[in-house]
Amino acid sequence: MTDLVCVQTDDFDLAGEYRRLRDISSRVGAVVTFCGLVRDFESSASDIDPDAPINNLTLQHYPGMTEALLADIIAQAKTRWTLYGVTVIHRIGTLAPNDQIVFVGVATEHRKQAFDAAQFLMDYLKTQATFWKKVTADGKEQWLDTKGSDNDAVAEWGKSRDD
Amino acid sequence: MVNLAFGKQTTQGLPGVIDLLFFGRLGDLAGEVDRSVSCIESRATPLAIREWLALDHQSLAKELCEPQVLVSVNKMIVKWDQPLFDGDEVAFLPPVTGG
Repeated sequence: MTDLVCVQTDDFDLAGEYRRLRDISSRVGAVVTFCGLVRDFESSASDIDPDAPINNLTLQHYPGMTEALLADIIAQAKTRWTLYGVTVIHRIGTLAPNDQIVFVGVATEHRKQAFDAAQFLMDYLKTQATFWKKVTADGKEQWLDTKGSDNDAVAEWGKSRDD
Repeated sequence: MVNLAFGKQTTQGLPGVIDLLFFGRLGDLAGEVDRSVSCIESRATPLAIREWLALDHQSLAKELCEPQVLVSVNKMIVKWDQPLFDGDEVAFLPPVTGG
């Protein structure tokens, strides 16, 4: 298996994930990895003071559907670029500031494909995969809304396909 | 388990159980994430369930009417008028916020 999709409560090891992608094939000339972390502030939650420190973030997902959607997003990326291997790991449950939430890694022949594919995967993951985030800060809880800029990012990929 | 009848019961209507899932803020408004309903109407659809939920969950029903809320049946996004069958899993999906 050159692709790996995991939805898990456990943390992940960046070095180990990089090594897996690097070792997939001797044709691999570029590995791009992205790691998303929990911030200690949240400016998009209307009920929460943007300066209030975040206590924690709770990640919920739809088991079965999430994994299928992530596999579909990877399949879409593979229609655009030649990818030797892809890893998507997303954590669920309760996370604290500075915790790792999400990992996307891509192994390709050349750097541009790897950068572009990693960005494509993250843009689609953020807007299509069935995860929901609840932030706890300042004694309050709030489910977050999708950011308009995330939808714009996916719309841009749609345009670039039409070119 | 509640009995879910959409108006008049039809003779061809087969009894069935439908599993409802509410994610994100919808779970808070529904008071639970997972709920089974017994359905005795052959023309059950997500839309009919939404209308039925409005009877005693007004704030939930209002949120379900938001255009960004999607509905899936057996983990596939569908239209709100998709016919439902015994054993179907219906999930109400607010805008996603992963990553």
